[in-house]
Amino acid sequence: MPIMTPGAFAYPGTSLDFRTGSWRTARPVYQVRPSPCHAACPAGENPRDYLARMAEANPRAAWETLVAFNPLPAITGRVCEHPCESACNRGQFDAAIAIHNVERWLGDEAVRAAWDYPLPAPAAEAPEVAVVGAGPAGLSCAYHLLRLGIRATVIDRLPEAGGTLRTALPCYRLPREVLDAEIGRLLAAGIPFVGRTRLGQHVSLAELSQDYAAVFLAPGRQQPRRWDVDGRTPKDLHPALTLLQDWVALDAVPAIHSALIVGGGNSAIDMARVLARTGAEVHLVTHDAMPGPGVSRDVAMKAAPRDIDQAIEEGVTIHVEHGIRRLILRGEKVVGVELVRLKKLLRGDGRYEVVPFEGTETVLHVDQVIPAVGQVVDADGMGSLLSENGFFAAGEDMRLPGRDAIYAGGDARERAWGTVSGAVGDGRKAALALHAHLSGRRYETGPAPRPMAIADLNLNYFERAPRAEETLLPPGLRQGCAEIAAGLSPEKVGAEAQRCFSCGDCLACDNCWTLCPDQAVLKSRAPLAEGARYHIDYDYCKGCGLCAHECPAGYIVMEAESRPAGRQQGP
Amino acid sequence: MTTETLHDLRGDQPRFQGLEAGHRACQGCGQALAARLTLEAAGPDVVLANATGCLEVFTTAWPDSAWRVPWLHSLFANAASVAAGMEAALKMQGRDVKVIALAGDGGTFDIGFQALSGMLERGHNVLFVCYDNEGYMNTGVQRSSSTPHAAATTTSPAGVARIGKRHLKKDILSIVAAHHIPYAATASVAYPTDLRKKVRRAIQVDGPSFLQVHAPCPLGWGHGGELSIEVARLAVQTGLFPLIELERDVLIGAMPIRRVRGIKDYLRPQGRFRHLFADDPRAREELAHLQALADHNIEVYGLRGDRPDTLDSEGADTVHRGGRHFA
Ligand SMILES: Cc1cc2nc3c(=O)[nH]c(=O)nc-3n(C[C@H](O)[C@H](O)[C@H](O)COP(=O)(O)OP(=O)(O)OC[C@H]3O[C@@H](n4cnc5c(N)ncnc54)[C@H](O)[C@@H]3O)c2cc1C
Ligand SMILES: Cc1ncc(C[n+]2csc(CCOP(=O)(O)OP(=O)(O)O)c2C)c(N)n1
Ligand code: SF4
Ligand code: SF4
Ligand code: SF4
Ligand SMILES: [Mg+2]
Repeated sequence: MPIMTPGAFAYPGTSLDFRTGSWRTARPVYQVRPSPCHAACPAGENPRDYLARMAEANPRAAWETLVAFNPLPAITGRVCEHPCESACNRGQFDAAIAIHNVERWLGDEAVRAAWDYPLPAPAAEAPEVAVVGAGPAGLSCAYHLLRLGIRATVIDRLPEAGGTLRTALPCYRLPREVLDAEIGRLLAAGIPFVGRTRLGQHVSLAELSQDYAAVFLAPGRQQPRRWDVDGRTPKDLHPALTLLQDWVALDAVPAIHSALIVGGGNSAIDMARVLARTGAEVHLVTHDAMPGPGVSRDVAMKAAPRDIDQAIEEGVTIHVEHGIRRLILRGEKVVGVELVRLKKLLRGDGRYEVVPFEGTETVLHVDQVIPAVGQVVDADGMGSLLSENGFFAAGEDMRLPGRDAIYAGGDARERAWGTVSGAVGDGRKAALALHAHLSGRRYETGPAPRPMAIADLNLNYFERAPRAEETLLPPGLRQGCAEIAAGLSPEKVGAEAQRCFSCGDCLACDNCWTLCPDQAVLKSRAPLAEGARYHIDYDYCKGCGLCAHECPAGYIVMEAESRPAGRQQGP
Repeated sequence: MTTETLHDLRGDQPRFQGLEAGHRACQGCGQALAARLTLEAAGPDVVLANATGCLEVFTTAWPDSAWRVPWLHSLFANAASVAAGMEAALKMQGRDVKVIALAGDGGTFDIGFQALSGMLERGHNVLFVCYDNEGYMNTGVQRSSSTPHAAATTTSPAGVARIGKRHLKKDILSIVAAHHIPYAATASVAYPTDLRKKVRRAIQVDGPSFLQVHAPCPLGWGHGGELSIEVARLAVQTGLFPLIELERDVLIGAMPIRRVRGIKDYLRPQGRFRHLFADDPRAREELAHLQALADHNIEVYGLRGDRPDTLDSEGADTVHRGGRHFA
């Protein structure tokens, strides 16, 4: 306070006595907002957050941030089609962050350095859940239950855990060592696994429901869907899934001169590639379009663009937007097919209809047709729970309607993602819902996060920087289990992390602190990870909004003041 | 955080805070920011002579002061003379303290001009910083000789006879540099790293040095307070406010413009240029004139960047996690 003397002489006081905060009509608030990469990740990961730890050269913290959502990063880093990258705001600036490479490197590094999964030992009296199916959905559910203090036992009809990852994913994309190491470590972290135990044969649902507090069903889709053309099928028909499973288990495929694979998903592409490697002439036909900019997901091939590109490099001929009009049989053996051009067109009711175009028929000579048109649930022991279309009608919380303690997720549910990351996400959601259920609470999902747009960033503060690309094995050298994608060096992974805009969270760039004309932003030495480095002193902030406008990351939002703008009361 | 812990934190900032909060500048004032950044780079061993104008008024509303260094209020006209006297006195006392004179564009280009010229000519060891908000803002937005051509002020309105200021913005930097002083430069609040670097450089000069800092005035220019940096940045990126450095009247550096923006990008957010967007042939002519002035600057100072550079108009304030700026 100024010291006043008679005659109104005053020693100057500090202007800090004068609280300019009362001028404000809107206040800046530091607010974490959902990044597009997070909103797009089916496993629920928040890439921004682990990229931040990585950029701070703290890979272990990055991995721990990552496995808080997805316990299988070495696997998803290799096989996920990474919708996070398609959503990445940086993609509209120069090129998306190579998130999958950072994820993959962190997963591999955790194996190499033997970092422990951050899992508490469950209490002795903790409830226990039975998980059926040791694919990514089941493993993720068990892991997240354990994180939440609930015990889980995983059973599978196969001797080893891994589900389709182990039985059908080709080793040139997912090396066995990687699969074994990551899944082995996960189980070793405290998940009891009982193999060779088939629901419906060795144990019944009634028994599980009796012995466990709840059941999570994740049997995947193990049964190839029936396929025919106008009711006709060739005699020697082998579905792609079966052939792939044999190839994975026995390293053997039938000798085929030329083949047509039917389908546009992962199984179709992998089948085509495996056969192409044997020297066969391989064609693939699909109703879907080639994925690309402007092509709706509803009509695009379901396989990842990366895998489609590699298949083409390896000599597979892909006939997109074509269908089989007729099988050309000699006796009961295929000698060719008649193809026709078609398109999936949007009808008035919002559904797509496949429309073939007369006059575009062609004949293709092949000696095998291999359907890869999807799979259905193997109903063993669960038949009564499946809905009419043969899948589990699980809700958002993965609970089966009308059942209290039976949940289901992964590939086996209706409208499944059909991907590993989707299965991991389902397992996590089921665990959260089970946790709520077992602690007598309601499970609230809340609205899906609305990701922040690139317009919410201030791009003036970012420099263009090329995306690090991993090297790929040249097509000529792609043999056996040699892994095709090489991954990135730790230096490049670090550089990718530095490229992240940090959409919706503080970059610690100092801009707000540097640019506030009113010295109303104060900087502390607190670690950034706790979001506590910068503070707005509302005693002085006039609410000009400059900090919010100049925040590169869109981490400052202006909120209207509830009180009317008032005059300063006087010091 | 409580007021008490914030108070403690304020006392423990990892930079010199020569100008504190609680001053009465308008929301988003460019000049308040420019002065704070100047002191950050120059302090704490400085004394200030401040001409009449917004900065003087809003920092020292009786009986408070926002300054944390010795500060003297001169008249509107004579900040340079007062600073020269302070410098002479400190020299007599054998004290090594830098004297900085602060003035608005009115107190520099117009009424303060002969005092400034005299100080420069006599070679005083004074840094003179002009906060250029392109008008007499403290008395209600009158034109100065720094007001840009065609801008509307209360004394150069967009009226019937003329639309906005008839005359050109005075090239004060050339006039100052013609005194053959060791260092004269322009800077902008939109490039704080560059601004602080120039302050440090000017402080080290033994003799007169001069900085002209472009500092948007939301009130006088007619834009939202949140846009002060955006507008200042566009002034640089259009070529209307070149960032240059002169030693002894010789150009020694210019911030290259990586992506030259058209002047309309700069003019559009500002109310003082609103009349230039009317459907009026005179407006079209003035727009063309302002574009020609920007093009002229770019040519004369060679501002067009030939390749991306960490110190150009796009790279100079690139941010990095953890506050690492280039430069
Ligand atoms: C060839 C191929 C390639 C693929 N490529 C990719 C890819 O690149 N990227 C991607 O994201 N996804 C890919 N997928 C899909 C991905 O594998 C699945 O989406 C994912 O594995 C589904 O996980 P899940 O846990 O739901 O089921 P699954 O992984 O199928 O696991 C189900 C488990 O349940 C067990 N089980 C079933 N019934 C019973 C029973 N009655 N009793 C006990 N156990 C039972 C099974 O043995 C199996 O282990 C591919 C699929 C295939 C077939
Ligand atoms: C001799 C004299 N004439 C006029 C004034 C009134 N006056 C005070 S500040 C000012 C304008 C200041 O303009 P500028 O120097 O550009 O500073 P700004 O307020 O724009 O920052 C005027 C005309 C005065 N104080 N003294
Ligand atoms: S820039 Fe970073 S935070 Fe933003 S979407 Fe991409 S990875 Fe996520
Ligand atoms: S820049 Fe400063 S005064 Fe303006 S809103 Fe931000 S904190 Fe408040
Ligand atoms: S301006 Fe920079 S330091 Fe301030 S909140 Fe935004 S990202 Fe964080
Ligand atoms: Mg002025």
